[in-house]
Amino acid sequence: MSNYIQVCDVEKYYGNGSNAAKAVDRVSFQVEQGEFVGVMGASGSGKTTLLNMLSTIDSVTAGHIYYEDIDITELSENKLSEFRKQNLGFVFQEYNLLDTLTIEENILLALTLHSRHKAEILGRCQELLSLLGIEDIRNSFPYQVSGGQKQRCACARALANRPRLLLADEPTGALDSRSAQTLLETFTDMNRKLNATIFMVTHDAFSASYCGRILFLKDGRIFHELRRGRKSRREFLNEILDVLSLTGGELSHAE
Amino acid sequence: MLNKLALRNVLRSARDYMVYFLTMMLVTAIMFAFHSLIFSEDLRQLFEMALLLAVLIGLASFFVVLIVAWLINYMVRFILEKRSREFGIYLLIGMKKKEIARLYLRESLLLGVGAFGGGLLLGLLLQQILMAILYSCIQMEYRIRLEWNPGCLATTAACYGGCYLLALLRCRRRFRKMNIHALMNSERQNEQIKESRVAARRWLLPLSGLGLLGLGLMLFFYKNWSNVTILGFLAGLVLVIYLFYSGLAARIVCYVRKKGNGVFHGQNLFLLRQFASKVRTLHFTLGTLTSLFALALLGCAIALMFNDFQNQMLAVKWPFDIQIFSGDTEEDFRREWEVLEREAHVEESHTYFIYQNGTNPVNTWLCTHLRIFGDDYLNSDGTPNQAEITSRDTWAYYRFDTYIALSDYNRIREMTGLSAVALGEGEYLLHLKERVWNETGDFTGEIAVSGPDGGTLRPAGIRTEPLSQDGHNGADYLLVVSDEAARQMTPYYRMLVANLAEKAPGTLQQSLDALESRDSYEDFGSHRVLDSMASGTDQIAVYVYKNMVRDNLIPEAKFLLSSVIFALVYVGLVFVCVALTVLSVQQLSDSARYRFRYQVLHQIGLSRKEISGVILKQLALFYLCPILFAALVSGIISVYLGWMFNFYTGTHTAAAGYFGVSFLMFLSVYGVYFAVTYVGFQRNVLTEPGS
Repeated sequence: MSNYIQVCDVEKYYGNGSNAAKAVDRVSFQVEQGEFVGVMGASGSGKTTLLNMLSTIDSVTAGHIYYEDIDITELSENKLSEFRKQNLGFVFQEYNLLDTLTIEENILLALTLHSRHKAEILGRCQELLSLLGIEDIRNSFPYQVSGGQKQRCACARALANRPRLLLADEPTGALDSRSAQTLLETFTDMNRKLNATIFMVTHDAFSASYCGRILFLKDGRIFHELRRGRKSRREFLNEILDVLSLTGGELSHAE
Repeated sequence: MLNKLALRNVLRSARDYMVYFLTMMLVTAIMFAFHSLIFSEDLRQLFEMALLLAVLIGLASFFVVLIVAWLINYMVRFILEKRSREFGIYLLIGMKKKEIARLYLRESLLLGVGAFGGGLLLGLLLQQILMAILYSCIQMEYRIRLEWNPGCLATTAACYGGCYLLALLRCRRRFRKMNIHALMNSERQNEQIKESRVAARRWLLPLSGLGLLGLGLMLFFYKNWSNVTILGFLAGLVLVIYLFYSGLAARIVCYVRKKGNGVFHGQNLFLLRQFASKVRTLHFTLGTLTSLFALALLGCAIALMFNDFQNQMLAVKWPFDIQIFSGDTEEDFRREWEVLEREAHVEESHTYFIYQNGTNPVNTWLCTHLRIFGDDYLNSDGTPNQAEITSRDTWAYYRFDTYIALSDYNRIREMTGLSAVALGEGEYLLHLKERVWNETGDFTGEIAVSGPDGGTLRPAGIRTEPLSQDGHNGADYLLVVSDEAARQMTPYYRMLVANLAEKAPGTLQQSLDALESRDSYEDFGSHRVLDSMASGTDQIAVYVYKNMVRDNLIPEAKFLLSSVIFALVYVGLVFVCVALTVLSVQQLSDSARYRFRYQVLHQIGLSRKEISGVILKQLALFYLCPILFAALVSGIISVYLGWMFNFYTGTHTAAAGYFGVSFLMFLSVYGVYFAVTYVGFQRNVLTEPGS
């Protein structure tokens, strides 16, 4: 299988001169098409920075990121927007739904930006609403529905244009455990049934156990990698917890 | 410590609410500059009527104070809301509510004093511009001189302070009801969109359209306006404006819900929803702003009407340098001549009679046909009511028709640079005001003017050159007959007209007026008004003085008209600035608060350029909506007023022209605020935090 996404020696510094802080330090890895990759790390380990660079909303200081043949670190601002529009979908901890639009309209907006026909847009929207089980709240505003429902709407929006890659930043961070489980099952479904490629950042072992592969980040570097293979989720979870306990709790600098 | 905190907060507020701060400065400057007109010693010495300017500006100031108080109150509440989290923290670390209230009050006052100080400096500059404009309006030379009058300063400070007092009165109560949790969380709350009863409310939009149409029709076709109907009309207008916004928001929501085709183009869905939610939450404010815009536009249009009158009509009102009327047919104008010879250099002059023959066919025709009289002079069966027409209470016309002998007529035509006319045997000529002629056309076929031998004279045509017909050379009209025919009539009153070799001295009018004892004449200003003089049917600005010296009256007339213009522009300017500030501050604070909306757009694939485009469209929608609606409302009214103004004064400008020009002037002020808001909005949304 060809390398779908390739990250080569990516570095990211914030500030300059003596104040420079290294957020991501020479990170390289690959993501295959249809993979569900997780990134774990403590606060400040650089996982969100990595996600932001992959998602083109932040630039790299050095290194390259290839989406098949396209090096996104070389693209202009306008081309990046176009690339983002065509290839990427986002799910955030804070949902980031537009509060003035209903659940359905939040999904419609992402579709209308692609200048499609009305019938096609409505058809796709309906498909997503039923796929994610949010049909009955389609006419509600974000403030009227639960966190889990909001997050599923964000997923639907992210999937609207059949992105090459779905990026999720702590998607379960603001959800109760039941909603979190439902969402993660949705992710797994999307990954299996729709063959969606997912890149998820989390610091929660339970969430991470749904992934197919996990990269562990510490001080901006990848220091470990786990593959689920044929293991059950519970086994995989134990494995993750083992790695975490090795480094002290949730990858913190425990004494 | 609290003082330091207050000062630091003020500096921050001044930056965050720059538009508000600048507007307060501008309002101070405008107030100060206009007030300095009231207190100007120069103007007082020049015109005895300076009091009128003071009254008009004072009246305008009253409305300005009210509206500025509204602005301050609005802003104080607005800033309070925006800073609620900060106040929550103060409470959390142990400050008392009273102390916070005092701190906030101190901040508001500091901001106010800062704006006042800056405004005064700007005001001095504006004062010079205003004086220069006023002097050029009244055709006098102006030398730059700073007027720093304590009275003016005190009045401005009092008005400004009054605004603050009115605005801050209720501020303390707001603090008493505060709760830490609510304060800390208020910022996090997103706009909660309640879309109840949209299906019913959307009908408010066509309803308000119909209401506007109805009011427009009423304006043009309803005849019996009374105070009650005018109040009803205004109340209807306000209602229509408020209903419009309520209906507009509902209509857009319905359109989006119905998924109309427009929703699926580009970012329309986002724009429509943004706009609808803003209009819905702010429909009351938007209604108020629209009313302010409409008032400002109307004020501006009316000011232009007066300006037009000043430019077009004053020159033709007085074709002679000197005109003197006397109701005494034995008058020899000896005393007047003495004054004229002493004070001026008369180049040419003519003394003549205006005659009557006890008939009134022209009066009767005009009284029963001119629109201005309606059916005041008609009996219930439609015949002329002669008793009314010949009563002395007819303000417009003399009791009998007014005649002039052909030789006198040709002589005064010659004095105004017109060619002589000839009359055939048994003919008469009608000299009519152009304004009246525009309305009546040739009506000589419908009247019978009797000649000396009891026969009827034949009409030889109509002349409409300006000939001072506000009571001097007849009221509205003169009938020109042969000298022989005139000799057989009764002299009605006597006239002296003269042209001077040079400009009349500034005191000539006063000297002439001083000849008459105060008992025999009514006074208007310092001028003598004769009870027996008729005025003709001109309205708005009519001069029926016994003595008229053109070079003295034109500056005075211009001063009077300028007073009206200045007061209207003053109110209009402040209203526009206040309304635009509210719009601008609303949008700018939204841009900071709802920054994430644009970040989401960025994430789902909009480039910065496209987001700029979305912002531009969003602002344009939000800014254009109140101005266009206000333009529609005030446009209808000012077209009507312009039409009436032309009708009553004889100016020629197309009625829509007054409105068009004021709308353009208005748009330029609008453009400045729009540009400032757009730049600020973009900066808030598109710059990375911390950069």
